[in-house]
Order: sequence, then C-alpha cells, then structure tokens
Amino acid sequence: MLEQEFRDIVEQYSEQLYWHIRGMVNSHDDTDDILQDVFVKAWKALPSFRGDSAVSTWLWRIATNEALGFMRRQKLRAALRLQSLDSEAERVIDSDPWFNGDEAQRRIAKAVAGLPPKQRAVFCMRWIEELPYEEISSITGTSVGALKASYHLAAEKVKVAVQEDD
Amino acid sequence: MKRKIEYNVPDGYFESLRTKLSAIPAQEERPSRMQKFTPYLALAACFAIAVLIGNLALDRTSSSSASDEEIIEYLVNSDITLAQIEDFIITNQ
Repeated sequence: MLEQEFRDIVEQYSEQLYWHIRGMVNSHDDTDDILQDVFVKAWKALPSFRGDSAVSTWLWRIATNEALGFMRRQKLRAALRLQSLDSEAERVIDSDPWFNGDEAQRRIAKAVAGLPPKQRAVFCMRWIEELPYEEISSITGTSVGALKASYHLAAEKVKVAVQEDD
Repeated sequence: MKRKIEYNVPDGYFESLRTKLSAIPAQEERPSRMQKFTPYLALAACFAIAVLIGNLALDRTSSSSASDEEIIEYLVNSDITLAQIEDFIITNQ
C-alpha cells in the first residue's frame, strides 16, 4: 500500500523534481545524488505525511531544503579551501557535459549560481519554474512580500552580472 | 517545452531514474514502529559520536594528524556555519 503510493509519487514527480533541483545546483551528477536523498527522505516521511499541504508542495519543500543544504556545504567547502565560490560555480557549468544552453544562457546560469543559496532557490522557482509566489511561500515558509523583495533583488543581480560579462 | 536554461540529460536517464527510485522501499528500512524510537536512538548515537571524536582527538595528539581535506569534509558535514568559522578566526587571530 505505502510502496504503491511511493511508486506513484516517483512516477508522477521524479522528472519535475529533477528539473527543480537542476536549476538550483546546475550539475547533472549533483542533481542525481540530491534527488536520491530527496526520495529516501520522502519514503521515510511518507507515513507521517498527513496531507496538510499538497503532495507536490511537500515534495518541493523536501527537495528545496536538500538543495539548500547542498549549496551550504558547497559554499563552506569553497571557503575552507580558500576558493572563490563564483569560480567554482563557473567551473561546474563549463565542465558539465550535460549543459546544453547557448552562450547567453551559460552567462545567466553562472550569474544565478553566484546568488546566495536562498535567493537562488527563490529565483529559480519564480523565473525558471514560474511558480506563483503563493506556492513558493508554502514551500519555503517565507511571506509573499519577502519573496517578492528577494526575487527582485536576485533578478537585479543577475541582470548586472550578465551585463558585466558583455 | 522550451526551457529558459537548456540542460541536457543522458539518453534514457528518466526511465532508469524511475527504476532506481522505485527500488528505495526495498533498500531502506520500512518506516514503521521504529520511528517512535528514533529520537532515543539519535541521542544515543550523538553520545557515541562524542565519545568517538574525543578518543580520536586524544589519539591524534599522540600520533598522526588529520589531513586538511579530512578536516574540511568533517566541518562541511557538521552543522557549523561560515559565520561561526569567521567568528572563530576573528576572535583567535
């Protein structure tokens, strides 16, 4: 019963969740690892999921938190190795054989990767996935007003970074 | 659907992904009655880790030391934040 419910969730949401995470972390291999952890967590938490929110919101929340944890560790690792996080993000995008975008998209991806983790998550959900602010609010637990402010700040930073590259 | 940033995946990736993820229930412990003991197990594990780290620290003072990479990975996987590390560096300089 629970196994069947889980398989239905995998069937319905695994691909969408892949793109949700990929937008935030860029690398295909990292996305694959994070996605595995997301579904292990979802499986373990499934018996206690009471349906207070939609299944998709619940899954997006787990995935966003996992991706944020990954970005936090990535940032910390870069700082401890005295590396620049921006140059590390650029290296990941430039060396990823599964990045298929043109030069303009590559510049945007690098600019997005330079955003602080939470701002990056909000920007990706709004700009790439085009989720409504109300939905992002349910996922992140942040007010709509704060999300709008965060998104506009992020969009401005991305615009400036892309223009600087021109 | 045209994506705003075009990423690619290996051929047949999503089919194999679904197969791999569907196998999680068979690989992971069934989430059931054990869950109510989890907080106690976690507490016991924390105690064991603290003892283990203490022992390792004592051992290391008398023998070999951890490499930079080991220390970095330990810190990265702990709950420490960048701000806490910065505070530590500032107060100990």
